[in-house]
Amino acid sequence: MKLLKAFVFCILSILFSAYAHAQDASTKGKVIDETGLPIPGATILLKGTAMSVTSDFDGKFQINAPKNGTLTISFIGYKTVETTINGQNAMNVKLYPATQDLNEVVVVGYGTQKKSVTTGAISSVKAKDLEKVPNGRIEQALQGRVSGVTIAASSGQPGSASTIRIRGITTFGDGGNNPLWVVDGVVVDAGGIGYLNQSDIESMEVLKDAASAAIYGTRAATGVILVTTKKGKSGKITVSYNGFAGVSSPETTLNMLNATQYTTIMNEKSVAAGGSIRFADPSAYGEGTDWQKQIFNTSALRYSHELSISGGNDVSTFYASFGTQNQDGIVLSEISNYNRTNFRLNSTHKISKVFTFGQTFGFSREKTAGIGNTNNEFGGPLASAISLDPLTPVVETDPTVINSRYTNPAMVRDENGNPYAISELVKAEMTNPLAYEKTRLGGFNWADNMVGNAYVEATISKHFKFKTIFGGKMSYWGNEGFTPVHYLSATSKAVENSYSQGENSSFAWNVENIATYSNSIGNHNFTVLLGQGAYVDNIGGGSGVTLQDLPIDSYRDASFGFDIPADKRTSWTSAQTEHKLTSLFTRLNYDFKEKYLFTGIIRRDGSTRFGGNNKFGVFPSFNLGWVVTKEEFWKENDILNTLKIRGGYGVVGNDAIADFRYLSVVEGGYNYAFGSDAKITTGYANLTLDNPDLRWEETSQANIGFESRFFHDLTLTVDVYSKKTSGILREVNIPGYVGVAKNPTANIADMENRGLEIELGYKKRFGDLNFSANANFAYLENEVTYVASDADYIVGDASFQSMGVVTRTKVGQSYNSFYGFKTAGIFQNDAEVAAYTNASGGLIQPKARPGDFRWVDTDGNGAIDDNDKQFLGNNIPKYTFGLTLNLDYKNFDFMAFAQGAAGNKVFQGLHRLDVANVNYQTDALGRWTGEGTSNDYPRLTDNDTNENFGKMSDFHLENGDYLRLKLIQLGYSLPSNVVSQIGASKIRFYITGENLFTITKYTGFDPEIGGGVFGIDKGVYPQAKSYLFGASVQF
Amino acid sequence: MKTIKYKYLFIALAIISFGSCSEEFVEIQPKGVFLSENYYSNEKQCTAALVGVYDAMRKNSGGFENMISMMNAGSDDFYAGGGDAKDGQQMQDFSTHSLTSINVPGSFWNDHYQGIFRANVLLSKLPEADMGDDVKLRIAAETKALRAIYYFNLVRMFKNVPLILVPLTSQTMYGVEQAAPEAVYAQIEKDLLEAIPALPATVTAATDAGRLTKGGVQAMLGKVYLFEGKKTEAAAVLAQVNGTPGAVNQYGNKLLESFSDLWVHANKFNTESLIEVCHSASGNTIWDFYASGKDEGNTLNLMIGPRDYKKVKEGAPDLPAGWGFNIITQNLYDAMKTDPRFEATILDLNPHAASGAATYTPSYQNTGYFLSKYVPRASDVSTGAGIKDLNYRQNTYIIRLADTYLMEAEALGSGARAQALLDAVRARVGLPSIPVTLQAIKNERRMEFAGEGLRFFDLVRWGDAATVLANRGFNAGVDEIFPIPTRELQGTKLKQNPGYN
Repeated sequence: MKLLKAFVFCILSILFSAYAHAQDASTKGKVIDETGLPIPGATILLKGTAMSVTSDFDGKFQINAPKNGTLTISFIGYKTVETTINGQNAMNVKLYPATQDLNEVVVVGYGTQKKSVTTGAISSVKAKDLEKVPNGRIEQALQGRVSGVTIAASSGQPGSASTIRIRGITTFGDGGNNPLWVVDGVVVDAGGIGYLNQSDIESMEVLKDAASAAIYGTRAATGVILVTTKKGKSGKITVSYNGFAGVSSPETTLNMLNATQYTTIMNEKSVAAGGSIRFADPSAYGEGTDWQKQIFNTSALRYSHELSISGGNDVSTFYASFGTQNQDGIVLSEISNYNRTNFRLNSTHKISKVFTFGQTFGFSREKTAGIGNTNNEFGGPLASAISLDPLTPVVETDPTVINSRYTNPAMVRDENGNPYAISELVKAEMTNPLAYEKTRLGGFNWADNMVGNAYVEATISKHFKFKTIFGGKMSYWGNEGFTPVHYLSATSKAVENSYSQGENSSFAWNVENIATYSNSIGNHNFTVLLGQGAYVDNIGGGSGVTLQDLPIDSYRDASFGFDIPADKRTSWTSAQTEHKLTSLFTRLNYDFKEKYLFTGIIRRDGSTRFGGNNKFGVFPSFNLGWVVTKEEFWKENDILNTLKIRGGYGVVGNDAIADFRYLSVVEGGYNYAFGSDAKITTGYANLTLDNPDLRWEETSQANIGFESRFFHDLTLTVDVYSKKTSGILREVNIPGYVGVAKNPTANIADMENRGLEIELGYKKRFGDLNFSANANFAYLENEVTYVASDADYIVGDASFQSMGVVTRTKVGQSYNSFYGFKTAGIFQNDAEVAAYTNASGGLIQPKARPGDFRWVDTDGNGAIDDNDKQFLGNNIPKYTFGLTLNLDYKNFDFMAFAQGAAGNKVFQGLHRLDVANVNYQTDALGRWTGEGTSNDYPRLTDNDTNENFGKMSDFHLENGDYLRLKLIQLGYSLPSNVVSQIGASKIRFYITGENLFTITKYTGFDPEIGGGVFGIDKGVYPQAKSYLFGASVQF
Repeated sequence: MKTIKYKYLFIALAIISFGSCSEEFVEIQPKGVFLSENYYSNEKQCTAALVGVYDAMRKNSGGFENMISMMNAGSDDFYAGGGDAKDGQQMQDFSTHSLTSINVPGSFWNDHYQGIFRANVLLSKLPEADMGDDVKLRIAAETKALRAIYYFNLVRMFKNVPLILVPLTSQTMYGVEQAAPEAVYAQIEKDLLEAIPALPATVTAATDAGRLTKGGVQAMLGKVYLFEGKKTEAAAVLAQVNGTPGAVNQYGNKLLESFSDLWVHANKFNTESLIEVCHSASGNTIWDFYASGKDEGNTLNLMIGPRDYKKVKEGAPDLPAGWGFNIITQNLYDAMKTDPRFEATILDLNPHAASGAATYTPSYQNTGYFLSKYVPRASDVSTGAGIKDLNYRQNTYIIRLADTYLMEAEALGSGARAQALLDAVRARVGLPSIPVTLQAIKNERRMEFAGEGLRFFDLVRWGDAATVLANRGFNAGVDEIFPIPTRELQGTKLKQNPGYN
């Protein structure tokens, strides 16, 4: 990596010395659009030189050029025009919007292709779609932009990754479902894509169908996202700055019971269970403590600055950027924040007629502080805030109480020296969140990433090219944290302080050789690609140390320099297992008159993750296309302008499983102590059973769709697909009597995803008003089609407290469907309980009382048992959609972007079942209190014999439908005559609102919940609402 | 000229990368672990594998789900205790004898079978290993005895269990059926009988204490016989362990003079101990690997300690706070009040709490009585790294000599030797002789072993459980054994125990 860095600096110095200038006669002109209006800011380049000028406010320009020179006129969003001067000294150049242009190019993996002749289901997001999105994580920028890609945040913690699913759940198990990210040809699986800076991105292409993704073979099953970073353009040097700053706050908070309501309910619960009144006068308690108010920050700071410089000439081009952003979390910001600094340099150089050299290099440093447990019922500040009773004060100030209850010297105290109160009602893992915050101060995670590639391309003849690419990613990450001596509760305390750090590194590299031959013989156009690649990742390891009992009290004084005796030091080390792939691949693109299209791909991969019996896999695919509107019988008309029908079939693989699953290994760590000194001896044992027949998981997909343009301004793309994954690799939950510490992996199930995707675009200009709108919609159906288990289902992956597993994976259902009891209203009186009888006249629910749920006796056996559980809904949204509107009027621009999902259930698990006295949301006020009071919220009692709350049932499930106004932005660009006076080409100010509101009936913080199983809400970190003000300047 | 140079560079690069095309490129060997097919080949590796088999012994008192606290909770001498009625749910459910196939803690099944799997693997590989015959025989003997101990726990807890003696494979694992309890007992006897001749009479205390000895395994065999009702065989083998009542036996074992010395943390592997589970603080356990194979701490200590305990004045004991499980019932308190073992067995915090000398948060079902045998003292708290609470190091007994005395007496039923055995146990604590009867032995066992996890199994063995535990929701014919965990029934040929669904 050091080498690469050195190399980059060399290139930089070469670059800046490579400019040359020429002077000639002056040519004047004007750039106008198709309606005759002037286009300011267009670039006019004298072809073959670095000479360029920009058109002024009236579209006028003046350039020194030879009389026989050629001018290239370009403007963003418009087709580039080349025109020869031919001795004219005044010329009018008309530009046409680029969207009219089907010669738009898309990245297809190992190359680009004209969009008009692509045959796959590929969705693109371009730089211009992203430029108004506030800088954040890249997958968030993708959310709602393209059809068929489901993105859900797993946490509102700044900097945290979202869950991405392309065309549904492809396989079981986490990790294995993440798409393959390929950035400038480098697979950046390990360590994720958090390092990428949004504004460095030129385009993102999502390869959704198997036939497009097949070029990435074994790792393409879950879809591929190709990211291309910006390159410099020959012409004058462009310098851009974009920055914003603003504040974030929670979009919603929950309505919890106040102290009066809480004590009333607690009394009612106690009395219902035969107990006594616990709180004599509820009204005396008033409002009580609002714990959410304590943890939420309504003015969390957020800012971002980015600077880029790009340019080049005929020989070399470059793009360099620098950016920094900072985001405070909305929950306990002191221990929840994110900071990233990044740098990028991309360049290309024509070394000779034959050889071109290019490189990309990106570096980023991230620093994150996190609140610890999120979306976890077992503690953490969010769970504590919604569980703690409103009676406990935040800080105890009464000296008599302090002297009797808070005598522990390790009590956490506020700045006035008063102890943070500890609840006497709500215990277990729930702790005072402000005290908790104090115990985590100074802790953070960090990550440094360097990703780059370098290639040499030889244009050996007009038709034949050969390219060798070397790519690498070096990641370092770690954490640091200080835990002071503290006492938060009986179970959450530390009698000695500790200070720990960990450091990990991982290196990945790949080499690819690609030969391309393209030619046109008559009307037959074809390109043949032959490639070979080797990919290695997970080279690295880590280590860490924890020191205990440091002679200090605060994280500010913590140091690893303290001389701590050996018995107060613990260390850990870890090693990664290399993962290697060797691949051969070939692709044929053929078209006849750009009318009949064919693409065929074959890739053969070998992976270290599979046993000798199945080490190699071959993945074929093909796509066909027919551009109907190019047929001679198709008369040009104003209704349907273009129509391309395309379809195909392909097979791809997935080797995202742990290493050596085909082998039986013996590992240490099954230790025992012997001798009067109890000396520990390391014991070894077989980890699991072996399975030499482990084979590739395969995903085959058929896709058919069309791309069309109507009325010149309206584009419509529709795709339908059926994706089938067979031989899903998964840890099998085998019986305990086998006696292995870890479950073995096997090919155990098949699954199908079927769906429909629609993308709609409209763009039109009405006088000074530019209007464009993009909408996308996707429908998805997931179904498990086969399970190779003696049981006819697989135990679900989501569980909740004492309820146990709440989902189940079974043939005919979607993956991890919610599974539990169905309620049929509430027993309103004793007569109803008595009337709910089975065939032999016995009570079906003998323990039920009025106010309890009536459970559906699904199997009709006359009793309520586990066999009465049924499927209650799916966690994967069936519908996802996004809508973008853009309006430009003179110097003003406006953008709104909304996104949503529907057709899924969310498990609302915000109420801890197995801890006494936890608070309720205010919907508990609508509980059953007597005949006719409620038919959907049961009575509240300390003795819930009917398990109204304890049983997994549809009571805990809610619709996850939502529509969110994700972004709204209003911008104003200074008039160009003002701008040009200070030497700039563009100055724009804008205000942005992010996540301003969400339309949903969901009662938790946020229905958008990602993760291994979607829609499990145990107190998810809510997303922030932000108001930002920004400016961008271009020179 | 320049171009040609680049060409060479280019070709060189291409050649290097084409080297990665071969099949060897995607062959890697695991590091940091061993391949099962190559392992178990010499003494060092087989000894390490034997340690892996011993690892499951920790189940007695390590981890939250440990044998002693669980079995205590189900007896008449203890309540589950803990923070509230839902704390340690499975223990609460056993305490009220309302276990179901879903809430039964699977680890009591799984952990023992893990020990058995490791034993089966080692026994299958051992014949091929390259080492001296003596060592090989001893390792085989220890492995078999450990397997027997694990099956003994399983058959007593779950009764109808699969008897697996060779490692299962992916192909064979679903064909397994439950064995008759008699067959399981027969195998336990066989394993123990085969082990005894190859085991050493004594081991080097400093390095090897804790490894099974002849006497320890004979004691285990005697106990197994007793549970089978084979009293003659039990008495015969236990006599070899016990020798002359009150005197030193042939292996050097002898009752400790002071009963309370049995509970001193430092007093590991004392002369009364026959089979003992070893705990250590040097594993520096932290929550990340708590209750895993690397955790060598005693969790029982932490669980027994009073919640939020604080010594306020002199006179109160100096205790670290714990989780307040295994609360002693008034019933046991009353029964033991005048027994000389009371002080060592029961810590009564009521006077200290009343006088304000100490404060603590009452556990669920609090009586103020704590199990002194395992309540940790401030001086027992680990001084090393790791989480203090997780690094207690008090060893726990599986069998001690007082147990074999009383078991032999029970097997004999009457007569001079039975009398002498009972007298010896009583004499050690200064109690006079009483006539030996089954009832006298039952009482003596309750006093002697209170809180050591033996009582529930004793009650079931005597057929007294239904009577004694009637007020704890015990259903005769059902609650003597645990339900089979649900997971074990799914897709397998196993059947649920009677009375459970």
